[in-house]
Amino acid sequence: MKESFEVALAQISCKQGDKTENLRKMQKFVIKAKKKGADLVIFPELSSTGYVLRDQIYELAEKIPGPLTGVMEETAEKNGIYIIFGMPELSEKTQATLYNTAVLIGPEGLIGKYRKMYLPTHSVFEEKRYFRPGYQTVAVDTELGKIGLIICYDIYFPEVTRLTRLEGAQLIVCISASPGIRRTFFETLTAARAIENTAFLAYVNLVGVEDGLQFWGGSRLIGPSGKVLVQAKYDEEDFIIGEVNYADIRPVETFVPTLRDLRPELFDKLKESAQEL
Amino acid sequence: MPAVLDLDWLEVVKKITRFIKDYVEKSQAKGVVLGLSGGIDSSTVAALSALAIGGDKVLGLMLPEKETYNVKDITHAELVAKKFGLKTETIDITSTLEAFYNSTPVFDPADKLSKGNIKARTRMIYIYYYANRLDTLVCGSSDKSETMMGYFTKWGDVAADISPVMDLYKTQVRKLAQYIGLPKELATKPSSPTLWPGQLAEDELGIAYEKLDIILYGVEHFMKPEEIATQLHVEGQLVDKIKRRWLSSEHKRRMLLTAKLEYRTVGNDFRLLRSPY
Repeated sequence: MKESFEVALAQISCKQGDKTENLRKMQKFVIKAKKKGADLVIFPELSSTGYVLRDQIYELAEKIPGPLTGVMEETAEKNGIYIIFGMPELSEKTQATLYNTAVLIGPEGLIGKYRKMYLPTHSVFEEKRYFRPGYQTVAVDTELGKIGLIICYDIYFPEVTRLTRLEGAQLIVCISASPGIRRTFFETLTAARAIENTAFLAYVNLVGVEDGLQFWGGSRLIGPSGKVLVQAKYDEEDFIIGEVNYADIRPVETFVPTLRDLRPELFDKLKESAQEL
Repeated sequence: MPAVLDLDWLEVVKKITRFIKDYVEKSQAKGVVLGLSGGIDSSTVAALSALAIGGDKVLGLMLPEKETYNVKDITHAELVAKKFGLKTETIDITSTLEAFYNSTPVFDPADKLSKGNIKARTRMIYIYYYANRLDTLVCGSSDKSETMMGYFTKWGDVAADISPVMDLYKTQVRKLAQYIGLPKELATKPSSPTLWPGQLAEDELGIAYEKLDIILYGVEHFMKPEEIATQLHVEGQLVDKIKRRWLSSEHKRRMLLTAKLEYRTVGNDFRLLRSPY
């Protein structure tokens, strides 16, 4: 396993509903990431299709594995790189049950997927209208260490990130499609999740305008102490590279030992109280 | 201006200009056409359109008529056009209106409102004709205050392909206008839909925009009428009246309604992308 490596954050805009065009763009950035020496390249939430899809989503969703992940597997293998991207997933057992999914593909092929657990359905969001929520947190074993996957609104619920950390993830990847009005929330929460879990956190957000919604970008790699190591531009496409070095976790974990100090008995209480809300 | 209505104006300009540019580009239109009355809303939208796509792609149509002719409005419109480098064209619509009045058996000049609506809708026809001929989009100038109040002509002044300042209250549009360099004189001029001589928006609404906007801000934020009244220091009855007017004018804002009969229904549960291609 590599103790340190470069991670590329590909902050792209998507063409709504056009998988061919978005795939072409992602492949271009994969090649660029490889050229720049990155071992992992991350794209935003639903980067294969764009975020605002409405009823068109039923035509765009695919099974995993399927044609789209097949192309991405070839791309990953050819470039010897890990890729994380987002896509609407069609359940293998039904014909119109969809998930908002993050896919992790390595040079060896498809190695993990995470189905978004918290689906925003308020304000401008209507995810529950289309998606079934996932029921499992995910931390995937890779040559780059264990990578935890979460998606956008999940970050408001610290238990999702915490579970991936407890499963051993030292790098948490949050792919996102966050509109501009919510920027300050995400800037605070991404740092908080890194600090409270003493882990690296890579946040990759969408940019562009989709049906009037403007996504703010600002993708970033955050170190285990909450420091923003690299940050992409706001509002426009950008491509940045940061270094993950797991050795940096140790001094932080000794300085503020949040994992040592976890109180498991509180989680039972949390469960009870949440049920009674 | 109350702090809650004061925004980061640079950010607002960026978002609106990006919105206009993006929509014009995606729809492959050659530019925008808008009715330029010399009032604050249309002047601001004209200026923002010019900032977004260049003044040479923005046509301001000045559509005066005999009864409401005001040289000050024309001067203001010309001032804006000159400052932001947009094209203008002036058409006196008096003869068109008179042809309508004279050819309509039920026409009654004493019915001010119905007659006024003819003017707003006639202007709409001119603007859309230019848009069709020039392969451009119609850019609307409605603001959030008048839209929430239903203070506009159905299929008239509100008719547009995009309405860039519809999420800003009137007092916010005034502030934005000054921020982007429109003359203060224009920004502080009393608003009028110019449907009949001497018509003033605040007289008709029965409330000053400063007060109206803060009440609307309250209902927007799910505040109860009594909370709005006490927290914002306004009379409870007035809040009730505004709230009722807001709710009862929803039919003017959602224009396609039919009886639900079949699987998916226009204007109801067809949930499609605005521009899929």
